[in-house]
Amino acid sequence: MRRWLRCLLLASAGICPLPSSADEALVVAPEEAQVDITTEFAGTKLKAIGAMSGPGDLIIKLVGPPHEATLSRETKLGPFWVEGETARMEGAPSLMFLYATAPIASILSPADQEKYGVLLEGVPVHIEPRLHAHASDDWRKAFFRIKQRQGYYHEDDTAIRVFGNRLFIADMRLPGDLQTGTYTIETLLVKSGKVVGRHVGQFNVRLAGIERWVWNAAHDHAWLFGSLFTLLAMLLGFALNAVPYSRTR
Amino acid sequence: MQFFLPIAHMDVNIVLILFYGAVVGFLSGLVGVGGGFLITPLLIFTGIPPIVAVSSGAAQMAGTASGASYLHWRHGNIDFKMALILLIGSWLGGGFGVYLAKLLLRDGEFGNVVVFLYVILLGFIGVSMLVESLQAVFRAPAAGDTPAATGRKSLLRTWFERLPWQTAFPASEVRLSILGLLILGASVGILTSLMGVGGGFIMVPAMIYLLKMPTKIALGTSLFQLLFTTAVVSIMQAGVNHSVDPFLALILILGSVLGTKLGAQLGARLPAEKLRLILALVVVAVAAKMVLTLLIAPSDVYDIAVEVQ
Repeated sequence: MRRWLRCLLLASAGICPLPSSADEALVVAPEEAQVDITTEFAGTKLKAIGAMSGPGDLIIKLVGPPHEATLSRETKLGPFWVEGETARMEGAPSLMFLYATAPIASILSPADQEKYGVLLEGVPVHIEPRLHAHASDDWRKAFFRIKQRQGYYHEDDTAIRVFGNRLFIADMRLPGDLQTGTYTIETLLVKSGKVVGRHVGQFNVRLAGIERWVWNAAHDHAWLFGSLFTLLAMLLGFALNAVPYSRTR
Repeated sequence: MQFFLPIAHMDVNIVLILFYGAVVGFLSGLVGVGGGFLITPLLIFTGIPPIVAVSSGAAQMAGTASGASYLHWRHGNIDFKMALILLIGSWLGGGFGVYLAKLLLRDGEFGNVVVFLYVILLGFIGVSMLVESLQAVFRAPAAGDTPAATGRKSLLRTWFERLPWQTAFPASEVRLSILGLLILGASVGILTSLMGVGGGFIMVPAMIYLLKMPTKIALGTSLFQLLFTTAVVSIMQAGVNHSVDPFLALILILGSVLGTKLGAQLGARLPAEKLRLILALVVVAVAAKMVLTLLIAPSDVYDIAVEVQ
């Protein structure tokens, strides 16, 4: 932390000759270690702050914990559109945001994009049941298309601000329905089409306070929770109607 | 004003959910339905996972029906004997329905089954009620309370009269088969579990047209029995599927309280055939909306099911 601060300060003054080796070309401030989901949680903003050794391009990959999703395809049944086949999409991250200082395709070669996993549609997804290559490609494409439309996967080349070719700040906006688990932020420094610096950090998203308590109660003591809550709902409905408003307040 | 729901795992606008609650409460008070057939699609439209919408809707209806039943009880609109028999039936059906929901969820067929049940039932019941109530309103505005005056006996009604264990229900002024009532209750119970509906929109028309009960007694009795049906379903959904979101249900209940009072006040002043017409219009409108979503081609044939963490 101290080393990072010293470098950041010196770099901002333009007098810190940051080492040029791949490991030292990029320094990123440790991000918030935890995001707590409380009753007011409606998404959050994260900042990634760091310093780099001279001009270059940056790519920041924010990846959420893997999740399983069921994808369905509507089919026509007579005049009706109904839910048809379904497929389980396993192993893809629940969320993937790519931030860069320029369109990623213009910074890295397709091979390197694949190598470093900075292709929105390049995430490996296991499809269950197993399908023919052609069919599974349709499902995979549809999956990424929907994830992008829903805002869980996106690429943004305006969110990173670079100051004096040394300092950078990335503003990342996380949605309200964040899956709980471990998220990783991977920062890549690219010079002349080659990745010369890489930094990986993590943070955890968890339910906190009453949200956590309720979730635990609903899962650990499901029947007791269901019975007590339903009784409470009935009593509340009865009390609010049976007792005059003036008394209930 | 956003609020994070721990079970639905998403943030929602409290004012919007309060408004949904108020609309549903108003219908409860006015025409004796729990409003689940309306609240489930509204919540799903907001992005709440279907199983959470269905389950939290059941918890909300238990709350709303408890308040609304009290108001109906004060007006003497509840046939307790009838309600008890229907309840026993619907509990049996409800328990079976929760496990059926689990099976369908596993096979990924939950969505289709729910949508088609909705459309078929709402369409059939809504149109039949609409025709009858329009005839009643225009033919004889001050006619009797029950639509029995038409004199025609449906096949179902004839079958119902032949069932064993016929007994008298003085409060409703009818004589009916206990076995038939149990079967009716069980059918509604299954629907409650599958669709998150209290079954009021099926129970009320069945009471009015099949059992020939006075409209207002049908409304009160339906609400009273669906209080217990939905309570049991809510407990079972929480126990089996962990899908009752307490905050969502509480916000809905708060919204519904005001709506229920307004609905019950208006309902007390309206003649029975007009109440039936309003109920018919609501049911037909929901059915029409569902049919439209089935007929209009989706913008993308693929979709990701919203899942509970």
